[in-house]
Amino acid sequence: MKTSLYKFAALAGITMLTVMTAEAAETTPPQLPVPAAAQLCTSCHGAQGQGIDIIGPRLAGLSADYISNQLALFHAGKRQNPTMLAMAATVQGENIAVVAQYFSQQPVADIQLQFRGDKVGISDPFETLAFQGDWSRTIPACVSCHGPSAVGGGQFPRLAGQQASYLKTQLLAWQEGSRTGDADNMMGNIALKLTAAEIDGLSQFFANIK
Amino acid sequence: MKLLSLLTIGALFSLPLQADELMTEVPAKPTAVKSSESSTTLPDRQAALPALEKKADAVYLQPAPLTAIPEGDFGDKVRLGYQLFVNTQQLRDKYVGNELNCVNCHMNSGRQANASPLWAAYFAYPAYRKKNDKVNSFQERIQGCFTYSMNGKAPAANSPELVAISAYSYWLGMSGLMDQYKVAGPVPELSDVELVKGGKRDDFPMPAAIAKHLDIAALSQLPGRGYPKTSQPELAYSPERGQVVYQTHCQVCHGEDGQGQVIAGVTALPPLWGAQSYNWGAGMHRVNTAADFIYENMPLGKSVQLTVQQAWDVAAYLNSFDRPQDPRFNGDVSKTQATYHKHQGYYGQSVAGKPVLGTASYPVFPLKNNIK
Repeated sequence: MKTSLYKFAALAGITMLTVMTAEAAETTPPQLPVPAAAQLCTSCHGAQGQGIDIIGPRLAGLSADYISNQLALFHAGKRQNPTMLAMAATVQGENIAVVAQYFSQQPVADIQLQFRGDKVGISDPFETLAFQGDWSRTIPACVSCHGPSAVGGGQFPRLAGQQASYLKTQLLAWQEGSRTGDADNMMGNIALKLTAAEIDGLSQFFANIK
Repeated sequence: MKLLSLLTIGALFSLPLQADELMTEVPAKPTAVKSSESSTTLPDRQAALPALEKKADAVYLQPAPLTAIPEGDFGDKVRLGYQLFVNTQQLRDKYVGNELNCVNCHMNSGRQANASPLWAAYFAYPAYRKKNDKVNSFQERIQGCFTYSMNGKAPAANSPELVAISAYSYWLGMSGLMDQYKVAGPVPELSDVELVKGGKRDDFPMPAAIAKHLDIAALSQLPGRGYPKTSQPELAYSPERGQVVYQTHCQVCHGEDGQGQVIAGVTALPPLWGAQSYNWGAGMHRVNTAADFIYENMPLGKSVQLTVQQAWDVAAYLNSFDRPQDPRFNGDVSKTQATYHKHQGYYGQSVAGKPVLGTASYPVFPLKNNIK
């Protein structure tokens, strides 16, 4: 994806805006049939991986790399959720790629992207944290890895439009150490520095990017 | 083995030359000038100002928050400076020729101590710079960033972009100093002409309450300036060992191919080598500078601190790939190397049997659409 986009931009000689449109076009239907391997997933994550609040987070908008890796982490016990532990066990071998591909190709609504620097002085403390970080605690801006408006890419999940309840659960899991498996515990380290109020506020902030 | 001994020789002989690009008019210590070249091409009284050692008890300036930037024309320049700094790609094809943003190497949008903060740099110029062998104003230093680090074309002197970055740097520095020395009121506004000169000069309008605590020399070496000097590695640095460090600690963000992470058409995490990264004239291509930066600032958020040895090794690794040509290249790699690369770097050398670096370098300031 990264490479193809790169080449696309370089060869076709088009603007960034066009690339983003192209990216959106890539992920919009034709509606794909749900592969057999992903049938079980859809009961909690929705037929298009759009998520069912509280029951299952949105998978649409996540990269195939990320989804495959999360399945592997559930298999390895580095992510813990009683339901997902059992469900992840049903997806093995080649089916991991099938499931990851399917959900990664499901559409998410277009959003107006916010880039770093679009706003300078930000009054909302959670938006400040997201776009500027808090370096007095060595917390980088969330968007420095999760991308403009935290739409995610590669191993960095999309946060924009994800369920607030899920984002909060995950940040708490990183804090407690019940979610691990990222390189150098980068996310765990950052989550540890967040206050309870910041976890609530950031979860709401990202969930509301729609 | 040959490479190893070459590196050792390089390390022994190049150290006095490349401790920092900054030079000072402060009289040199007798030991500071060792190279015959530096004593013939540079006046004796000018010696390399070494990267500062990091002190445990250092007190760093705390610039005012961005929300405190004032309304009005002056504030608008400061804001524009910030915006250019964190989203430098808005100048792509105008002044920028790669995928980098200033903030990639100057953490916290130029506000972080020990990550070459703008507030410290501002008071270190005008200064003598070895790279072009003359006294450089602050805006000339920023022009250098565009030419080398951004592999681009420098904005003209006094252009709105250079005024804006100077205004942002000045505002950060002065707001921090005023906070530290309890000077009330807004940061005094300066004219564009004053802003781009930098703060290391006798005629700089420094409030007396600050000047009585810090003279010009002290201001030019504020704690946290530059990247703190990392101690020498136990073993000569090695790209081979560095590759292992890279794969373990860096690759997840910067990619197996070193090309960073593109999200929504933006290189969120920067490319470290190749056509889209800094060129062979940028300070970061020097292994010691990259080691200093990496040791202090990487991985992002400093969630893991590499060992000194790992920092040097990985700095060597990422600087052992080809990148855009040195803009001072005169058609002959060995001559360019002899003139400009007497330091810890791989320009003009072959690493691990690969072609000599510099012989097949990428273009300087290519248009975005022309990069293959």
